[in-house]
Amino acid sequence: MPKNITIFTTNTCAYCVMVERFLDMKGLKYEVVNLDEKPELQEEVLKMSGALTVPVTVVTKQDDSKEVVVGYNLPKLAPALA
Amino acid sequence: MEDKTVRDLVIIGAGPAALSAALYTSREDIDTVLYEKGAIGGLAAVTDWVDNYPGFAKGIAGLELADQMRAQAERFGAKIELGEVQKLVIEEDLKKLITTNGDVYAKAVLIATGSEYRKIGVPGEDEYYARGVHYCATCDGAFYRDKKLVVVGGGNSAAQESIFLTKFATHIDMLVRGDKLRASEVLIHELDKHTDKITIHFNTTTDEIKGLDGKVTSVIGTDKIKNQKVTFSTDGVFVFVGLDPNTKFLEGSGVELDERGFVKSDQHLMTKIKGVFVAGDVRSGATLQIASATGEGATAALMIREYLESLERGPLPEPVVGHPQLYD
Repeated sequence: MPKNITIFTTNTCAYCVMVERFLDMKGLKYEVVNLDEKPELQEEVLKMSGALTVPVTVVTKQDDSKEVVVGYNLPKLAPALA
Repeated sequence: MEDKTVRDLVIIGAGPAALSAALYTSREDIDTVLYEKGAIGGLAAVTDWVDNYPGFAKGIAGLELADQMRAQAERFGAKIELGEVQKLVIEEDLKKLITTNGDVYAKAVLIATGSEYRKIGVPGEDEYYARGVHYCATCDGAFYRDKKLVVVGGGNSAAQESIFLTKFATHIDMLVRGDKLRASEVLIHELDKHTDKITIHFNTTTDEIKGLDGKVTSVIGTDKIKNQKVTFSTDGVFVFVGLDPNTKFLEGSGVELDERGFVKSDQHLMTKIKGVFVAGDVRSGATLQIASATGEGATAALMIREYLESLERGPLPEPVVGHPQLYD
């Protein structure tokens, strides 16, 4: 199980809702960071993801390594959560 | 012997047509499961604002409308699986669906996979995807605060999303291939209110997206009247040039498609294959409206109920005047 999960979202992002729903379904806890409320974090998210899009999900594993999943991408998100 | 779990109805997709159908069938105690590979609510969910869906006098956010539809269907027992149907195989009376979550069998299937935004197919489009080229304004618009944008397209989506993007961008160049907008009059009037931020360039094609150091810097187009190249400096490009049906998974299934890849059906929304129905934007001849999609979803649900009943009782005996025989 991951140590920590953070999802970067915006107010109008339907795919962000889907990531949250998927994590809820898995019974995993996560933190949501809304970039509409914290636009100053956009550059940081861009550096992490390399993409100008949300959702961006950052999964911190038990060994403190991080995996960044861009978009609502279940084939990448599911293994990242394992 | 293979253990087959057979559902009464599998709905492929979870957009407005699918959720409406699921609401109706679940209320009839028809065992209903939906498979959605993208966003629940489909394109409606990624639309900023919906002003033409009846029942919401002031309009409603697309995401909120989608969530209400989902909650209503789930309230009556519809199950939504987050996964993709990769193939549909017809096995005599049963339909086998190969999905990312495993195989599932169904007595009836409703194809309600909708459509997705079409690409322009120009150099730079794939290279800068999600790094300057976008197809979802509600997802990615916020990254363009105080930046310049190009929107490609002249239909309802292009108009609606351009208006939405004025919340962020300092200026938007809208590139329209034809000599007029194909958007509704209401949206054209709305665009007129944003002339300070939106400049519409008619008769202008989009030929190439250029960038530097991984970032989009300009769009090269052609002014078809002057027959000369034009350059629009920009930080990003949003593309809304039409829709393509989500029907690739139907290859080899026997379901008949039209020349553009949309699913053909009869007047009862049944495809050429008995027990396989279609509703919403993916249907050949659909009007691509949320209200139409929900109506078709409800109609399909009633036809599916009739079909499932016919499996139990056998074919209908005689056509009744004014109540056409559904299944020959």
